[in-house]
Amino acid sequence: MNVIFGLVLTVSTALLIWHDPSAMLSSMLAGGEKALSLTLKMVVIYAVWMGVFELLEKTGLAKVFAKTLKPVNKFLFGPLPDKANDYMSLNISANILGMSGATTPMGIKSIAELEKHTGTEYAIAMFFVINATSVQLIPSSVMALRTTMGASTPADIILPTVLATAVSTIVGVLLVKIFIKKDGYAKKSSDEKGSKKAKNKLEIPFLRKGKTFLGKAHNGGN
Amino acid sequence: MSEYFIPVLFLIIFIFAIIKRVKPYDAFTVGAKSAVPFAVSIFPYLVSIFVLTELFEISGISSAVSNFLSPVFRVMGIPKELTKLVLIKPFSGNGSLALLTEIFTKYGVDSYLSRCACVIYGSSETVFYIAAVYFAGAKTKKLTAPIIISLIASFCSCVFACFICKII
Repeated sequence: MNVIFGLVLTVSTALLIWHDPSAMLSSMLAGGEKALSLTLKMVVIYAVWMGVFELLEKTGLAKVFAKTLKPVNKFLFGPLPDKANDYMSLNISANILGMSGATTPMGIKSIAELEKHTGTEYAIAMFFVINATSVQLIPSSVMALRTTMGASTPADIILPTVLATAVSTIVGVLLVKIFIKKDGYAKKSSDEKGSKKAKNKLEIPFLRKGKTFLGKAHNGGN
Repeated sequence: MSEYFIPVLFLIIFIFAIIKRVKPYDAFTVGAKSAVPFAVSIFPYLVSIFVLTELFEISGISSAVSNFLSPVFRVMGIPKELTKLVLIKPFSGNGSLALLTEIFTKYGVDSYLSRCACVIYGSSETVFYIAAVYFAGAKTKKLTAPIIISLIASFCSCVFACFICKII
């Protein structure tokens, strides 16, 4: 991120000095203003959804979501801390149902929760990639725009969009499985640890690959 | 149909809260309270991303890069009119929505280009924005690999989008 940021800042400033020096500061400030208005919007969404989620948790309904999605989570992330599993289940449900307001608060909570434990780096990476390649079933905002612009069949993009999102999510999940080292959060029970070790052994070729890839990327990027 | 979904879900939650004797006011306030530190933590990251996006756009780097990449994209089946959309989408939701509208008016809503642009817009996410928000409060700064993976995956879906829109 630092590399990209530094590069874009330097090159764009140099270019602007060349052809439009007065636009430089004003466009930076315009960016800041957009960030502020987005932050305000996000905070309101966050506050409302977090309020509702607190109720959801207190009533125990959150556990129902978590239980339903447990097999999916296990396949994607491996073993998870309980609380993180709850939040992540809610995030993934919200993603699938297209409740875009709810995905972000739950996503942030999930990451914060995962970070409290060691050995969750793989789960964090996988979780981020799934969110960044979101599984959306109904692209409602695009359809609304198409309707207002007078499209003959506004809904004809649903199927291709769903297929394309599926492609991005599948590719993302596969790439994480291939390139990121599976560290694996280990629960305290010795039973789980045993199965974890066996699992890791199977993935040794990937493990090596992942290590070098990660090592390089991190040193360079951060 | 979908407009009923969230209200009904909320109603179920509220009814359960009463049955389970949860104090709704207290619980809701606890949840809402966490929005304040959240605002403080995301703002600096969003400023950085948005300043970056603005400069990228206004300095002409964005056009230069899209001119440079459009032959490459062309080979992979992405029309040159859509190169910019593919490039802007990971940075800015609003920016890409504006581009989408522009494509609609320029080429007609029902054209291949417009439908293709819709699928690209709908199937990928603003990767950098999500990274900034999700990791705003996080200690982990090991983001490079997941970001690169997400970008590659999104690009695959763009290529796929251009292909599938030709058939469907």
